[in-house]
Amino acid sequence: MPSLDRRSFLQLGLGATVLGAVGTGCSPATPAAQKQDARTFTIYWNAGHGYQVYKDVIDQFGKDHDLEMNWQKFQWPDLTTKLTADFRSGNVPDLVEEVSAGTGTQYGLAGNVLALDEFATADQAFGFPGDFIDQAVVARQYEGTTYSIPLHLTANGLVFYNKEMIDKPPATWDEFLDLARSTTKDKVSGTALNSDASYAAPFYSQQNVDFSQVGAKQFMVPQDGARKALQFMQDLIFTHKASPAPVATTDYSGPQKLFSAERAAMFVSGPWDIGPIRQGSPDIDLGLAVPLTGAVQASSMAGSGLMIPAKAKDPELSWELITRLTAVKTELAATKESGMSMPRKSWAADPAVAADPNLGTIAKALAVVADQDVALAASGKAAQITELWKKAYQQMIIQHAPVEQTLADFRKQAGAAL
Amino acid sequence: MIRRRQAATAWLFLTPAVLFFTLLFFLPIGNQLLTGLYDADGVSFVGLGNFSRALSDPEVVHSFLITLLYAAGTLIVGTAVGLGLAVILNQALPGRTLFRSLLLIPYLTSVSIVGLLWRNILDPQVGILNRLLESLGLPGQTWLSTHPLATIVGITVWSGAGYTMVLFLAGLQGIPGLYYEAARIDGAGPWRRFFAITLPLLAPTTLFVSIIGLISTLQQFALPYIVTGGGPGNATSLYAHRLFIVAFNDNDFGYASALSVLLLIVVLVLSLAQLRIGDRANA
Repeated sequence: MPSLDRRSFLQLGLGATVLGAVGTGCSPATPAAQKQDARTFTIYWNAGHGYQVYKDVIDQFGKDHDLEMNWQKFQWPDLTTKLTADFRSGNVPDLVEEVSAGTGTQYGLAGNVLALDEFATADQAFGFPGDFIDQAVVARQYEGTTYSIPLHLTANGLVFYNKEMIDKPPATWDEFLDLARSTTKDKVSGTALNSDASYAAPFYSQQNVDFSQVGAKQFMVPQDGARKALQFMQDLIFTHKASPAPVATTDYSGPQKLFSAERAAMFVSGPWDIGPIRQGSPDIDLGLAVPLTGAVQASSMAGSGLMIPAKAKDPELSWELITRLTAVKTELAATKESGMSMPRKSWAADPAVAADPNLGTIAKALAVVADQDVALAASGKAAQITELWKKAYQQMIIQHAPVEQTLADFRKQAGAAL
Repeated sequence: MIRRRQAATAWLFLTPAVLFFTLLFFLPIGNQLLTGLYDADGVSFVGLGNFSRALSDPEVVHSFLITLLYAAGTLIVGTAVGLGLAVILNQALPGRTLFRSLLLIPYLTSVSIVGLLWRNILDPQVGILNRLLESLGLPGQTWLSTHPLATIVGITVWSGAGYTMVLFLAGLQGIPGLYYEAARIDGAGPWRRFFAITLPLLAPTTLFVSIIGLISTLQQFALPYIVTGGGPGNATSLYAHRLFIVAFNDNDFGYASALSVLLLIVVLVLSLAQLRIGDRANA
């Protein structure tokens, strides 16, 4: 056996220590850490919806079940990215806020989120779907299966206006254009369009345009109405100079910020902008008007939902938190805090809601919501086609690309993606 | 016996590094390569289908071309600015240490903060830059709408100039002063000294700066993602952004893996070409 001198012994010892340290670092988590992890309840949430009332509900839920609540808030694109990576790795949160109706269906059909009908049927007191407004439910179902529960129900298409600049809100496209032009002066724009392509939906819906007809593999039809809508929007910026060209970002709050800074007299959006305006610019005399009438009066449905990942640690617990977050008491408190509108019929019937003029306007907007093509979400290509639409919209609205040609290119690309 | 024992000790010390690179670099690269051979479902084997699809995908080709433009713009302007600053701050100027430190701050700042900062500065309605222009009687500009790629190049150069400057400063301080002294005695002016002494002797530094710059610009993702989201349209959708969209938006990890392997190959080829050019220049 070879003899080791002191120097060699120390070298070998040090080498083995380093190797051992690396090995320890690479070893799996200890059982104790896993046990700790089992008591952590993780929620992914939209950063704009982090209301105090939800925090209180979540904190209470944690206390009741002796759980450490890990409430993570993201911008929508970041939430989607993280969730996609989580689905791939199998390390998923316990509850996720769904960006919009249809997203849950897309994930559900891929086996990534749970169908919730069994939970709802077993929990009669929850009142699903009976107490929920039909459009919010139907948009989250595919072939009779529900993949998410509505958290908010809102409509994009409301006209926000500054009462100090505008006496009577516009009701038609012509009135909107006239007012936008007449209120554009110095540093104030008559209106402000959004860089987010989903904000085009009220305009094309008001021309009776369907974004998709997946069965027929068609997009933005009828074509003439789509051209009219996008041309109207483009002209507001480049012909009438009544709106600044939006800046391409991942943030949808540009028009609201301009309005809050009194740099825009009116803009088209949804109830989610009421809270930031009230809080950021309480001096503005905010007016809220029903959606415009083009060929028809229409708004586009918006509002998030809640879904349970298929690999959530304890789906029963996740369901219980859903029932607490969507209880009518929570909905009323969230409305009071943020001005957000909710999907329960019992919420709409509450005297506090019925007496609020803004909520009355929102209710009218919800009554003219355009139908959604649920087959798009089920196709599994919704995200890809939405990305193509985002590109086309920004080319038309920011880069002044010809409307007809850009729409034709989009139809071709979207059809190919399907 | 002693040599064998020394070799064993050496291997023990090397093992952590070998493990580190194997686990965190080589295995993931191998995994990417393997994933790139499968369809979006991760089950259907498509061979090199994803790779050939990339070559005829107009979105990928567009993103690759604008990435090359972005890399060229950033490398040329960034190197010139970094070198210029290094030459200026290599002089015995008052407060030069302070300026060197200040110029390094943007590089040390998180790219998220840099992106958000510039997004606010460049906002056409409420951004400080347009307000400054208006106060000078000049018309406001829509930087991110009319020249989005050039604007992203500008922000990248601003952010990285301090680091490039530090590298060039180190290079400049390695040039013996007697060369300049001899040139001055021979009647060479400042420009002549710069082109005949400084620039040739900075060749290794320039090579290093260009290789590091090329690798980082070809992989650039965060800055355009934060500032423009890849828009307007797809004007700033660089290759890495496109790859991100394919993976996390389109949910096609097979194709995204193939795109990432192609990027690795391009980076390797361009870096090796630069090294060869550098070797020839030095020879």
